[in-house]
Amino acid sequence: MGEVSPITVIAVTGKGGTGKTVFAAMLILRLCRKGYLLAVDADPDSNLPEALGVEEGVEKTLGEVKELFQHTRDEIRGDKEIWFEAKIFEAINELDEFDLIVMGRPEGEGCYCYTNNLLRGILRKFMQHYDYVVVDCEAGLEHFSRKTIDRADCVVVVTDTSRKGLKTAERISSLMCELNLKAKKGLVGNKADERAEEIMREFAEERGFKFLGALPYDEKLAEYDMLGKSVKDLLLEQPDSKFVRAFEEVFEKFKSWCLCV
Amino acid sequence: MVERKKVEIPEDVKVKVSEGEEYDFPVDISPMHEGERIRKGDMYVELAGPKQPGFELVMALPADQVEDMKVTLVGKDLDELEEGKAHPFAMIYYVAGEKIDNDLEPIIERRNHDFQNYIEGVMHLNQRYDVWVRIGKNAVEKGLKSLITIAKAVMLLFKNEMPFIEKIEAVYATDREFVEKTLKEVAMPIFEERDARVESLHDEDVDEFYSCTLCQSFAPADVCIISPDRPSLCGAITWFDGRAAARVDPEGPNKPVPKGEILDPIGGEYSGVNEFAKAESGGVTERIKLHSFLECPHPSCGCFEVIGFYMPEVDGIGWVHRGFPEPAPNGLTFSSMAGQTGGGKQVVGFLGIGISYFRSKKFIQADGGWYRVVWMPKELKQKVLQYIPEDMRDKIATEEDAKTMDELREFLKRVDHPVVKGVVRPVDGKKITEGWAEESEEEEAEEESIEGVEGEGAPVQMPQMTQMPMQMPMPTQMPQMLPFTQAGPTIKLVIKNATISIDKIIVKKKENKKEKK
Repeated sequence: MGEVSPITVIAVTGKGGTGKTVFAAMLILRLCRKGYLLAVDADPDSNLPEALGVEEGVEKTLGEVKELFQHTRDEIRGDKEIWFEAKIFEAINELDEFDLIVMGRPEGEGCYCYTNNLLRGILRKFMQHYDYVVVDCEAGLEHFSRKTIDRADCVVVVTDTSRKGLKTAERISSLMCELNLKAKKGLVGNKADERAEEIMREFAEERGFKFLGALPYDEKLAEYDMLGKSVKDLLLEQPDSKFVRAFEEVFEKFKSWCLCV
Repeated sequence: MVERKKVEIPEDVKVKVSEGEEYDFPVDISPMHEGERIRKGDMYVELAGPKQPGFELVMALPADQVEDMKVTLVGKDLDELEEGKAHPFAMIYYVAGEKIDNDLEPIIERRNHDFQNYIEGVMHLNQRYDVWVRIGKNAVEKGLKSLITIAKAVMLLFKNEMPFIEKIEAVYATDREFVEKTLKEVAMPIFEERDARVESLHDEDVDEFYSCTLCQSFAPADVCIISPDRPSLCGAITWFDGRAAARVDPEGPNKPVPKGEILDPIGGEYSGVNEFAKAESGGVTERIKLHSFLECPHPSCGCFEVIGFYMPEVDGIGWVHRGFPEPAPNGLTFSSMAGQTGGGKQVVGFLGIGISYFRSKKFIQADGGWYRVVWMPKELKQKVLQYIPEDMRDKIATEEDAKTMDELREFLKRVDHPVVKGVVRPVDGKKITEGWAEESEEEEAEEESIEGVEGEGAPVQMPQMTQMPMQMPMPTQMPQMLPFTQAGPTIKLVIKNATISIDKIIVKKKENKKEKK
C-alpha cells in the first residue's frame, strides 16, 4: 500500500426488474479478480448480497449506523467524527473476494445535514483504498444526487425490451446532466433477441450511450433465480450457458470502454 | 479530581521493559500512511476493537515520576499473539512538562490516533475505550515484531510534534485481566471527570464561538452560532465539535467567531457575533441574542429538533419536538410552526433549538428560563426532566394536562405557575412579567368565544412537511398575529380583536392552496 492507484467508480442502474442487479453482481464477480473491489448496494428494492451469494456475511447496514449516530450523537464523548468513522468501518462487510457496503433503509425524520456531511468525507477518504467501486443503484441515483458518493467514472444503464426501460435510460441521462455527473454512459440490453438488440443499439447511438451489447433471455438464469441460487453459482456451474457467454462478450467491451484495457 | 498515578504492574503476568530511544524502525513512518486501511485478509492481528476490550489514556504526572522513553509491555508481545485473531489492548502514556496540566490530557491523547496511523502497516480507529487497531501482515513481514517498537515510534512522534512534552513513558498491555481492570478502575473515572469538566464550560470561559453554515444550501441566509452554552439547533454540533472542525478546515462550514465585546450578558449578545451574522447572512440578520426568546432570537434554519412558541394568552412559552404529531395548545403542529419559522429567519415568537439546549445553564435565561415554560409534550418532558428545576417539574403541562388554551390556563392557575403572578427570572432576580390580569367578568365572558373558535380552528391540519419544511417558504402571517406586550390586560384585549378572526383566515387560505395543487 502507500502508492495511490486511481479508482474506477462504476454505477449500474436502470428500471427495476430489468436485471441490473444480476448484471452488477456479475460485473463485481469478474472485476474483483483484477484488484480490490468495493461493492455498494444502494438500491433498497434490490438485493445485491443475495445475487452475490453473500447475504449471510452482511451484519450491518450503513443506514443502521447512520441512525445510530443520528440518535446517540448527543451522548458521544470526545470526537464524533472519529467515532462515526469507526462505526462506518463496522458496516463494511469484509468478504473473501471483495468488500460490501449495504446502504440500507432511507433516512428517518430530522436533520441529516451534519451526518451526511461527515459521511461524505469519510466515504471519500475510504474509497481511495480500492481499485474498483461498483454501485448498484436505483434509477433516481439517490446517493449520487445527495453526494454521499461524489463521483462516477461510468454509468451503465441496464434495460429490458420494455418501452419503460428505455424511457428510464433517457431519464437517467438527463438526471446525470442535472446533477452535473460527468461520467461515461453505457447501455446494456437484457432479455433481448436480435431485433430488440437493433432497436437498443439505435436508441443508444441517438442519445449518446455506448452500446455494450445485449444479453439473451436464458431459462437457466430464470431457473437459478427461482431456486434462490446466486449469480455466483451460475457463473461457476453454467460457464457455457447462453447468458454467461453473452455476458463475457459484454464484459470485454466494457473493459475496453470503461477501464481502457 | 481523580488522582493521577502510575498503574500497578501485576507480578504474575509476563512483563517486558525497554528503556531509551529507538530510531531504527523496520517500517516507514510518515503522515503519508494516514488513512491506510488494513483489510481483514491483510491483517496480522486485531487489537481491541468491537470484539475485544481496550482503551487509550494519557495521564499528566510530575516530571520526577516519569521515566522518559521507557516502555512496559504487560502480556504477550506481537510475535506471541495468535495470528488472525482479535486481542485485548491498552495504551497508557504518562507525560510530563512544565506546561502540561490535566486540561491538556485529552488534547495529547487525541494525537495517539494520528501517530499510530503514521506507522506503515498500523491502522488505528476511534478513541478512548472504543479504540480499534489492526497490524498488517505487510508490517510483520518487514520485521515489525514488537508492540514496544510501535510505542517507541509514537513516543518520538509525540515529542517531535508536541515539544511541550518533556518526558513521556508508556505502558502497553495485551493481558486481558490487566486491560479490563485498568479500564474500569483507572481510565473510566478519568474519562468521566473529563466529561463533567466539558459540561461545566460556559460562554464566558472562551474567547471565540463557532459558526455553522452547513444549512446554507437550503436556507441561504442562515447563520448558526454555536457557543459552549448553546449547541447547534439541529442538536448535532457542540462548541467542541465546532472547534475541532474549525481546526481541521478553517474555511469550512464551521468558522471561528471572535466574541468581541459583550453587549448584553443576560441575553447573550456579543459585538463579534453580530458582525459575523450580518456579514454571513448578507445583512438579513443584524443582531443575535443567544439566550433570548423574545428579543433578537437566534435564527432558525429548519433543522431544529424542537420548536418553541410564545403564547400571549398565558404569557408563557411552549415547546414541541419533531416527533409529536398533534397540535400544541396554540392549535398548531410542529410542521406548521416549522414552516413559518425555518429558512434562516429570525421570527420573534418562535425559536428552533436542539434538545441539548435544554441542558444549558443559560437556557432562554433572558426570558425567565424554565420559569417561563408552560407546556411540552410528555415524551419531550421525560427526556429532559433532569434539567428542569425541581420546583418547576410539576408546573409544566403536557398533552395529558392540557390540549387547548383553556385547559392550559386552568392547569397553570391550579399549579400556580410563575406566569400567573409574574415571572422573576433567576439570572438577576428581575421581575420580567406582570402576571395575568385579575380575574374579571369580562375575561370569563370572552373565554367562551375563544373556545368556539378553537373548535373550528384546531382540527384543521396544516400541510404535513416532514422532511425539510424550510424548502417551502410560506407566507409568514403568523408572527404578526402574536403581539407581545408584556402586560397581561393588554394582551387580553388584543386577542379579542385580532386572533379570532385572523386565525380563521390563515387556516382556510392554506387549506385552499394545498387543494389546488
